[in-house]
Amino acid sequence: VLCCRAGAGQDVGRSCILVSIAGKNVMLDCGMHMGYNDDRRFPDFSYITQNGRLTDFLDCVIISHFHLDHCGALPYFSEMVGYDGPIYMTHPTKAICPILLEDYRKITVDKKGETNFFTSQMIKDCMKKVVAVHLHQTVQVDEELEIKAYYAGHVLGAAMFQIKVGCESVVYTGDYNMTPDRHLGAAWIDKCRPDLLISESTYATTIRDSKRCRERDFLKKVHETVERGGKVLIPVFALGRAQELCILLETFWERMNLKAPIYFSTGLTEKANHYYKLFITWTNQKIRKTFVQRNMFEFKHIKAFDRAFADNPGPMVVFATPGMLHAGQSLQIFRKWAGNEKNMVIMPGYCVQGTVGHKILSGQRKLEMEGRQILEVKMQVEYMSFSAHADAKGIMQLIRQAEPRNVLLVHGEAKKMEFLKQKIEQEF
Amino acid sequence: YRDLHTFELQAPTRLIEWARGNRVCVAGYGQSDGNEILQLIPPPTLLTKETQGLCPERDFKVECGGFSERPVYSLKYVPDTSLLVTSGPPNSSLQVWQVSAEDSDVIKSVSTIATENGPGQSWAKIATISARVPWVLHGSRLDRVQITEVESRKHVYTAASRGSEELSNLAFLDCNTLLLCCATGRLCLADMRQPQSLMEAMSVPSTPCSEQWCMGTRHGAQGLEPSSQPVARLSSRGLLTLTDLRKTSEFLALAKARVPSPGSSAEFLCVSWAPALEGYLAISGLDGTVHVYDTQSWDSSGREAEPIFVHKGHAFGGAGGSRDPPLVTVHTWHLQKPRTLLSAASDGSLHIWDWVQPCGKC
Repeated sequence: VLCCRAGAGQDVGRSCILVSIAGKNVMLDCGMHMGYNDDRRFPDFSYITQNGRLTDFLDCVIISHFHLDHCGALPYFSEMVGYDGPIYMTHPTKAICPILLEDYRKITVDKKGETNFFTSQMIKDCMKKVVAVHLHQTVQVDEELEIKAYYAGHVLGAAMFQIKVGCESVVYTGDYNMTPDRHLGAAWIDKCRPDLLISESTYATTIRDSKRCRERDFLKKVHETVERGGKVLIPVFALGRAQELCILLETFWERMNLKAPIYFSTGLTEKANHYYKLFITWTNQKIRKTFVQRNMFEFKHIKAFDRAFADNPGPMVVFATPGMLHAGQSLQIFRKWAGNEKNMVIMPGYCVQGTVGHKILSGQRKLEMEGRQILEVKMQVEYMSFSAHADAKGIMQLIRQAEPRNVLLVHGEAKKMEFLKQKIEQEF
Repeated sequence: YRDLHTFELQAPTRLIEWARGNRVCVAGYGQSDGNEILQLIPPPTLLTKETQGLCPERDFKVECGGFSERPVYSLKYVPDTSLLVTSGPPNSSLQVWQVSAEDSDVIKSVSTIATENGPGQSWAKIATISARVPWVLHGSRLDRVQITEVESRKHVYTAASRGSEELSNLAFLDCNTLLLCCATGRLCLADMRQPQSLMEAMSVPSTPCSEQWCMGTRHGAQGLEPSSQPVARLSSRGLLTLTDLRKTSEFLALAKARVPSPGSSAEFLCVSWAPALEGYLAISGLDGTVHVYDTQSWDSSGREAEPIFVHKGHAFGGAGGSRDPPLVTVHTWHLQKPRTLLSAASDGSLHIWDWVQPCGKC
């Protein structure tokens, strides 16, 4: 089994891995790096294309989930570089991917005026090549190559994939989470004993603070801001952690009988709700059980946002896209609210370098906007990482479940990992 | 609370040791093999002066780790070196390790300091100092206390023997003076310059039921004579005695902590002085809580003292139900932040908490 990364594999920016297994070539994920505005944002496919046409070389492409750092370069890859073979992903991923891709395309091209980018039609054409798969369903790609998806937690529709050719197999985890949260279950795999397990390792050397403490602190900050009449902006990507935070706030508002309005970006609320209802089997046990009485995603306290509301006086909480404050509605609202120290912006996830989100988290309080305008940031800037990745304990759990012969760690920091290596070796 | 962070280690620890650069070390004690020694970088929230609330990173990072073939019951860093020493069952020999975080993240086993292993010997208690040369003070019993040079493993000193009781802890008061505390509560002072002498402090009150004792000494506050800091002794029934080493024939104070079920396991008894708060000490090991006391109001009457604060987090953290409630295995004070403590329990939990000084009686 040969493995190489067609992008900066050590960079938490994009994922794109090429695996050669018994003569078959599979591409795992096709992500985009959000911090770059030029060609560096896409993986470098010349490594593969020098061998000839992509369609002839690759047997299939597998996409693990809808986060842009895993699927963002897919239309570029299939329509601009050129690939006509099958692309596999789960049903929710297939439904949600094009929405996020179109959203990102709109912001990049329309708002920023970029030219070397894929078009709406390309996204549509790309999705025509997608074959959707079910969990635990063995899919024959050809006579020798078969794949199977496993539940990965992390976000709706995320899957880990087993790729098998004869008696050789590889398992690719994508991003996964071994602990369930409010709306998703935990990842699980059977004792498939792959020759190679490719696991993400963003938090491999981390011992994470308990979710309860994070949530408690998050709610405390939101509550304090709203109590003093301030506005809270939470930039999110439409689908993913946003749902988790919505459930958290809704429950809190209900319990504390709070009156301040909570808004969620228009357009994406309905769609998000729609998908979660559609793919209810992908959510966790608790949601499925309570769904009959009450739809967890129909929020009593969370309403659709209108641009005009940003100017309303008084406290409010707004979830707006996109997540790193790099463009769009969240950036617009940020500019309106930044000058008032009663307000707060809470970044709920990692921000790639170059984005406004990253700048303010690094402590910058004077930002240069377009037209050389300087924006002074007086509002409170907070960070709360709710991202759902496996930590050291989770990675070991997965290894114990799958019992691989070899392990490859990706998507993490390029640090020495000798200790973890020995720890894994000790397991077997 | 002003702040509370809870973490879950893969395996419970019974030690929390501070290292250079604000690092913290924990180690597993449960298994017979494959116990991990982890040197951790605490979350930035611990490094900042004020509580920031939502910090960019709230997690511990494993900086380096090692694997121990035996359970690690005690661990001490050797000052001014990149070494650390561990001890644990089945016998009283010590293991020396090298921490070299620059080129590798593995804590490597370097050597073993062997000791005479007679019958009835359990694991060695240890203390380290770097006087002229790095030393480790170690022994499992009162008649087996010795000092060994860490790097050369050369034997340097043996303490005079006055009995064969098991030791609870030992400490260097300075580079010439040793303090030894037995499980029976006997507290002995040894001056290395006078090898045959072994001075004893006032014995602890004797009780009909057997109880076990441990001691806590103050980390040398700068500029103060180490022997002027009182030594605290805690028993498994919750009795606390304070002794001034300049006046060892009497108690400075005597008090009783509120203990739910007296006489429970003494394995994890722990008492420690706050490095930055005069007269404050913390105790743990009696149950799933950590108590903080202000000893300045104590006298020698031995009556029950009211804790200033009780950390109950570990008792509530467990799965509940049929499982035994977790026992706090160890606690330690943050060296700079006056009201911050770290505590660990038998269920693998690790907490960092910062308590608020109560203002009068509410």
